[in-house]
Amino acid sequence: MAGVKICKLNKIYPNGFHAVKDVNLDIANKEFMILVGPSGCGKTTTLRMIAGLEDITTGEMYIGDELVNEVSPKDRNIAMVFQNYALYPHMSVYDNMAFGLKLKKTPKDEIDERIKKAAKILDIEALLKRKPKQLSGGQRQRVALGRAIVRKPEVFLMDEPLSNLDAKLRVQMRAELIKLHNELQTTFIYVTHDQTEAMTMGTRICVMNDGVVQQVADPRTIYNAPANVFVASFIGAPQMNFFKGKIADTPVVEVASHVFKLSDHMAEVVKNKGKFNAEVIVGIRPEDIKLGNSSEGLPAKVEVTELLGSDLNVYFKIGEKSYIMKTESSSDVKIGDTIYPVFDMNKLHLFDSETEKSLLY
Amino acid sequence: MKKQTKDHLVFWLFLAPALISFVVVVIIPFFMGLYYSMTDWTAVADSTPVWVGLENYKSMFSDFAFKYSFIRTFLFSVLSVISINLVALTFAFLVTREIRFKNFYRAGFFIPNLIGGLVLGYIWQFIFKSVVPSIGALLGIDFIENLLLLADPNLTLFGLIFAFTWQYAGYIMMIYVAALLNVPQELLEASEIDGANFWQKLISITIPMIAQAFTITSFLTLVSSFKQYDIIVALTNGGPTDLYQGQVVNSSELLAMHIYNVAFKYNNMAEGQARAIIFFLVLSVVSIAQVYYNKKKEVEM
Repeated sequence: MAGVKICKLNKIYPNGFHAVKDVNLDIANKEFMILVGPSGCGKTTTLRMIAGLEDITTGEMYIGDELVNEVSPKDRNIAMVFQNYALYPHMSVYDNMAFGLKLKKTPKDEIDERIKKAAKILDIEALLKRKPKQLSGGQRQRVALGRAIVRKPEVFLMDEPLSNLDAKLRVQMRAELIKLHNELQTTFIYVTHDQTEAMTMGTRICVMNDGVVQQVADPRTIYNAPANVFVASFIGAPQMNFFKGKIADTPVVEVASHVFKLSDHMAEVVKNKGKFNAEVIVGIRPEDIKLGNSSEGLPAKVEVTELLGSDLNVYFKIGEKSYIMKTESSSDVKIGDTIYPVFDMNKLHLFDSETEKSLLY
Repeated sequence: MKKQTKDHLVFWLFLAPALISFVVVVIIPFFMGLYYSMTDWTAVADSTPVWVGLENYKSMFSDFAFKYSFIRTFLFSVLSVISINLVALTFAFLVTREIRFKNFYRAGFFIPNLIGGLVLGYIWQFIFKSVVPSIGALLGIDFIENLLLLADPNLTLFGLIFAFTWQYAGYIMMIYVAALLNVPQELLEASEIDGANFWQKLISITIPMIAQAFTITSFLTLVSSFKQYDIIVALTNGGPTDLYQGQVVNSSELLAMHIYNVAFKYNNMAEGQARAIIFFLVLSVVSIAQVYYNKKKEVEM
């Protein structure tokens, strides 16, 4: 069992592409850490550097207390689950799982015992004699997990392991991975571009963009207190609404010709940061906009509605600016209606218009 | 016209050119050859072939030169297949690594294959006869100075294999290169994390994953070494002569050349034809067995 510590990690490819920039990350033992971000953000490169598949340009990496910069993958005591599973096609499921153990000269009966145990956890006992091509996507996924489990690694690395599964299976495997993490009590490092996976599975989330870590925090903090505009826009579906505004010392925030009064708490924070009269980016999540009556809200025109079963997404326009709100599916909003949305002022997010960093957190 | 009949017509129309030429230049000559192999035909004008039954086949098996040639051909083929494939695979590994000028090397290894066998044979004759001894003299090493591969009946086969490998390995390398580039990188990475070192990766992952290439390359090398003719003509022309079990033999007269000599040099067309038929049968059996065996080892993704 071990944590992973990354200091000032950089990756520059021979062609000059700077994929990972000064990443610092302290992953505790037994943690389920998620690296999330859009494609090309450096999350997979970071994971591959932890695995030892990619050279470290500069920086230090520790697994447990050991500096592993120059340690080859096989001596790092890690296991990795690949996006396309990377099962050995010429070996049976059993041999796939036994391969790593055989190389370590584990006694035969111990190999057998470990495989049986892992197969039981993953419910693949009946498949042990099959070849990978005779398995469905979900089964292959389990075998790939099994191959990782039997080696009893100190750290599990997973590179978008669920992205090749169909939606239903993905939801199911998500729950099973969480269960597996609880059972094994080992450090998991998991790369995904899917924010739902990140929110549901991680004990902590590291959001990355352009090779730079944007925020590292538990899912609740990431959602409720995003550190900058990127994190706020990347996490949450539908996406947070953003609009430009200006803080006046009343204290209100002016948006276009409308004026919203800031809550006392927010006013205090903004005042302390000396941001009165500053240009800001205002953000509000779709679920923090409610339907009100004509005396409470501004008049808005409904452009599109999306029924998602339990929820109803309403796309509306105030003046020239479009917004999204999320309301109960029972509400009777139709395209072309005029509604009066009310913004929950306690749930407002304020970002510096230049640095895009949050003014509140 | 109904669509079905029209489809049939189109089918046969497109097939016809290939089918007709195949029948005219392969099938008909094959059966004519089968017939001639049972006559005393000499290809002399105005002489009518006389049916002799299996006489030519009987004399073939009692002919010492044929038996000797057969054994030498087998030896040559087995050694060539091993040598060509080993060299080709090694080259393929080298030129699929991240090295500088790898395309230059790829082209360089491949170019000998573009040189005709005769030309190539004479080049190597020059190298074996003149260059090697002078290098030996220059270095002052007697062994190399006196090494006349083509003049020693025991070594001449190795001279042939050397030149043949030089010609053919680059071509086979290209097939291995294609196969190696097709091995998913992820599999190698997964095995690396599983703890495999270079040799374990090679034996447990890479070799099984390129089994398909082995089927093709062993077939090609086996068949072409069995049929080898032009390099030998240029290098040794069958020589040097040797005494084997008390008989005079041509130490590098392999089957294809043996058959040519019997048919055209000694003008025994029918006898040569009979030997060619046996050659065909043996080669078919060997190569079908080889493909069958290799196919079983292939991996389906």
